[in-house]
Amino acid sequence: MPIRKKNKTKNQSFFDYTLLFVVIFLIAFGLIMIYSTSSYEATGQLGDSTYYLRHQFIATIAGTFVMFMTTMIDYHRWEKYAFIGMGVSIILIFLVLTPMGVEVNGARRWIRVVGSLQFQPAEIVKIAVILFCASMITHFSKKKLATFKGALIVIAAPAVMALLLWQITDNLSSGIIVGGIAVVMLFVADSDYKKYIIAFLIVVALGAVVVYAATHMQSDSFRMGRIAIWLDPEKDPDGIGFQTLQALYAIGSGGIFGKGLGGSMQKLGFLPEAQNDMIFSIICEELGLFGALAVILLFVLLIWRCMVIANNAPDLFGALLVVGVMAHFAIQVILNIAVVTNTMPNTGISLPFISYGGTSEMFLMAEIGLVLNVSRQIRLKDNVM
Amino acid sequence: MIERIKEIFSFSPQREPENVRHFTYSMRKKLVFLFFIVLLAFVGLSVRLFMINKENGENYKRKILSQQNYVSTTLPYKRGDILDTNGTKLAYSEKVYNLVVDSSIINSVEGALEPTLAALDACFDVDINELRNFIVTNKDDRYHVLFKKLEYEEIADFVEMQSNPSEYPNIKGIWFESEYKRVYPYGSLACDTIGFTVGKDIGSFGLEEYYNGILNGTDGREYGYLTDDLDVERTTIPARDGQTIVSTLDANIQSIVDKYVAQWNHEHEGENAYRVGELGSKSTGVIVMDPNNGEVLAMAGYPVFDLNNPRSLSENGLYTEEEIVAMTEEERYDALNQIWRNFCISDTYEPGSTAKSLTISAGLDAGVLTGNESYNCGGVLEVGGHKIHCHKRIGHGTLTLSGALEQSCNVALMQIGSAMGSGTLAEYLSNFNVGLKTNIDLAGEARTDTLVFDPDNMGSADLAISTFGQGYNVTMIQMASAFCSVVNGGYYYQPHVVKEIRNADGSVAEKITPRVLKQTISESTSDRMKGYLFNVCDIGTGKTAVPAGYLIGGKTGTAEMYPRGTGNYVVSFIGFAPVDDPQVVVYVVIDRPNVDHQPHSTFAQEICKNIMTELLPYMQIFRTEEITEEEKEQLRQLGVLSGYPTMIEPDEEEQTEEEPIKPADSIQAQIDAATGYAIDPNTGEYLDPETYEPIDPTTSDLGGVGALVDDSLSIRADGTNETENGYSEEDEANMNVD
Repeated sequence: MPIRKKNKTKNQSFFDYTLLFVVIFLIAFGLIMIYSTSSYEATGQLGDSTYYLRHQFIATIAGTFVMFMTTMIDYHRWEKYAFIGMGVSIILIFLVLTPMGVEVNGARRWIRVVGSLQFQPAEIVKIAVILFCASMITHFSKKKLATFKGALIVIAAPAVMALLLWQITDNLSSGIIVGGIAVVMLFVADSDYKKYIIAFLIVVALGAVVVYAATHMQSDSFRMGRIAIWLDPEKDPDGIGFQTLQALYAIGSGGIFGKGLGGSMQKLGFLPEAQNDMIFSIICEELGLFGALAVILLFVLLIWRCMVIANNAPDLFGALLVVGVMAHFAIQVILNIAVVTNTMPNTGISLPFISYGGTSEMFLMAEIGLVLNVSRQIRLKDNVM
Repeated sequence: MIERIKEIFSFSPQREPENVRHFTYSMRKKLVFLFFIVLLAFVGLSVRLFMINKENGENYKRKILSQQNYVSTTLPYKRGDILDTNGTKLAYSEKVYNLVVDSSIINSVEGALEPTLAALDACFDVDINELRNFIVTNKDDRYHVLFKKLEYEEIADFVEMQSNPSEYPNIKGIWFESEYKRVYPYGSLACDTIGFTVGKDIGSFGLEEYYNGILNGTDGREYGYLTDDLDVERTTIPARDGQTIVSTLDANIQSIVDKYVAQWNHEHEGENAYRVGELGSKSTGVIVMDPNNGEVLAMAGYPVFDLNNPRSLSENGLYTEEEIVAMTEEERYDALNQIWRNFCISDTYEPGSTAKSLTISAGLDAGVLTGNESYNCGGVLEVGGHKIHCHKRIGHGTLTLSGALEQSCNVALMQIGSAMGSGTLAEYLSNFNVGLKTNIDLAGEARTDTLVFDPDNMGSADLAISTFGQGYNVTMIQMASAFCSVVNGGYYYQPHVVKEIRNADGSVAEKITPRVLKQTISESTSDRMKGYLFNVCDIGTGKTAVPAGYLIGGKTGTAEMYPRGTGNYVVSFIGFAPVDDPQVVVYVVIDRPNVDHQPHSTFAQEICKNIMTELLPYMQIFRTEEITEEEKEQLRQLGVLSGYPTMIEPDEEEQTEEEPIKPADSIQAQIDAATGYAIDPNTGEYLDPETYEPIDPTTSDLGGVGALVDDSLSIRADGTNETENGYSEEDEANMNVD
């Protein structure tokens, strides 16, 4: 009997509660920060201090349902949709150009489904690319993947997606994320290091050239201007540099422990998109370095759990799905904080689970559900955590 | 179906094909490597955060503070009320709302434009298309006042819709800004006395101007400041509302007065009037005072205007729309000033015969007169080389002192004047405050110090005409106050309109008690005068003024205006009731009544009688005399007996001896309609109707009491004697001084 019992324990399905609680904590914290950052402006402009909070809360409820579904559905079932997903993605991207597309703040990135329900195709593209890459890599032999040609085949479709996102929906940041996700997945699956180091060096070199060009050539290009302002935001404190500078003021004035929850001054109409892309700077202002590090630590925890789950996944496909999601979170968090701290040029990237944005939150939770499903299929007998 | 769902949610770990690929060791290694790269990135970003704080923390803190504009909001105060003596609100401030459209918000919320416009359309009278255009073209406009000064009832529906987003979603970008509006519930009642406000806190005219500082409060403020810990502290200093003033005016008395002033003027205005299309008089003023404390119970000036709309010239029929359009800015302003100014305190005029009560009081009090004198009036008296006529050209014959007052005999008064001497008269007149401001608590009281005689330079002719109220100017309030002291035992009270100042919470801040400034005459003189003044109304020139059932005293007055001879008169009556214990003084002055022949003090007496008929019962002063059937009928018509007011028929037959009796043919014989003088067709000079010698119009003796020195023009024309007269051109210029 004891042996049987032991066997049963070994076969018991695993569930990553750590990840679940990190996510729950991040979402709850996000709601609090959204209320804190948006209530003043929402009262002034919309006459309803809880406007943003309520919308985000409704999205969270819906997201919880979506997460539950993806947690319960066997991830292998998604594999057959890998190519269809890419096809749908392309259609959705081009739908933005039709009358269904919605322009917000001068960028046409949204599709209206019905009423005020709208979403960014980029969110779906991210999931589709994760699914597509995982499927492709699983079907490629190790040798084939290691060749330059093999890697190019895997990366080709995501690269097209990234380009479309950039050019069609004018959304460079989503393009970077999609490309980044594909590269990371390929990098993990590939045994080779060399070509990635070369590619990395090329990217760095190109970046340096662009920066040099931006600072030494007279160019009216929007992005070139952004790069120039990035290096010295004080050059244009009321124009392009305004948001960056205001974010820096917020971060710098926070100190170690901040001004206290709700004590931000920058959110009182000074920092544009305070509840959105720039929410991290308000966290720094209100909760200080301490709060900022705590949030970073939570994301590190989330990424760490993803790594652990991937490393113990029952098969390559599951592992790669988790790696894709992990890459998505890692890239988005790093880029967001880098933008807020002016470590890189300003481009619109939201902070997962914390920034305001209903559909984004729902797709992120779907991805977490995917990871949790992979975690459920871990067989404890095979692995030591 | 259920099977299918079960299948979707189930997964079999057993289902493991042989060819399944695993996450290999090298991949795990790479993933861990990747994780450390990510960790490195986070460490790098954390260091960056730390550096921003360390290097620029203080600098950025200051930057944030410097860009904070601590928008302080003004909390408007409420201007104090003006109450009448019974607590009725004559003026108060009401919270009103401005509807502000914020296009920027409407445009920023998807789908908010149409619901918002629909809601506005449902609740307000607004051109939706125009507004839609405005919102679309002025995308970022944040402050567009669509409506001003809406009352709460007007916006209640909309506020209801706004606060019910489930039923009326997407109503955005509309808000209400509150402020106070001055409301005068009785419109034109006592308009000249109350005054109005310009903007929020500038009183114009009357009580609003005089008590501006007291009625005004202090705006409150809501503002933020920084503490030592660099926290924003929000502080509210509440608004301090203005104080309320309780006036001595009685809205009931005032409305009685306003009613009869308007009635008389309506009867003499318009197409059938003498001056076609003009009002019943240039101005009509009435002051009702309590002689025992100087309180002004009512003060009316005609023409009136609506205090709620003081800038309208057309409303009271003064001007037609075409006339207003044709006016220049300056003319418009002058016209408005003319209706705004308070005739009772701002306009000066020669009081005429009403001043005889002052002259005789002075004579009695100084001991010059005993009451046993007798005077002989031959119709004219030569004083200082000028022939000065009595209004009754054939003379009054022999008169007692009382008779001189009863018949308003100029010749007798001139004899009294010469008995007193200019020093005594001037002393008493100045004691009666003639030439001095009364300092009544109203804005705009005229100065008259340059419009009276200098006693040192007073010639005998000046003295003579002064005795019957010519040659010097007064304001109505001066005359009324002086007369009060004649009938109340000699106490000169400072006239006042406000008796109490209250704080915004209703507590009494200050009580204004009656102030006796001086004793003008002795009590016994006053008693004597009351008797004489009673005789005036009983058997003399003031009979018309007596309301049925009462014994009143009073004095009539008719004064020809400068320039003399144009037929323009100021007619007046000042009376008090009851005779034995004066409770009220009523003073009526009509400036240039709109009639063919102006010098009839009966016009003023009619108004006074009507006012008193209704006023005295209201003041609980009861009838002491028998009323004839005829009088009863009149009272019934007036509504005093039956309770319903009806228009009284003008009683033109009643005329007193004061009016020069003029046969109809003699009027026909005169050529100049305006002056009633014959004119020499060759020279254009006026001719004496009896001698047909060229005369100067100012020597007119046609004007009742307005008789003047025969050759006063020659005195003026040669320019040598100007200062002796003193009143010549200045009077003219100052007929309408401020």
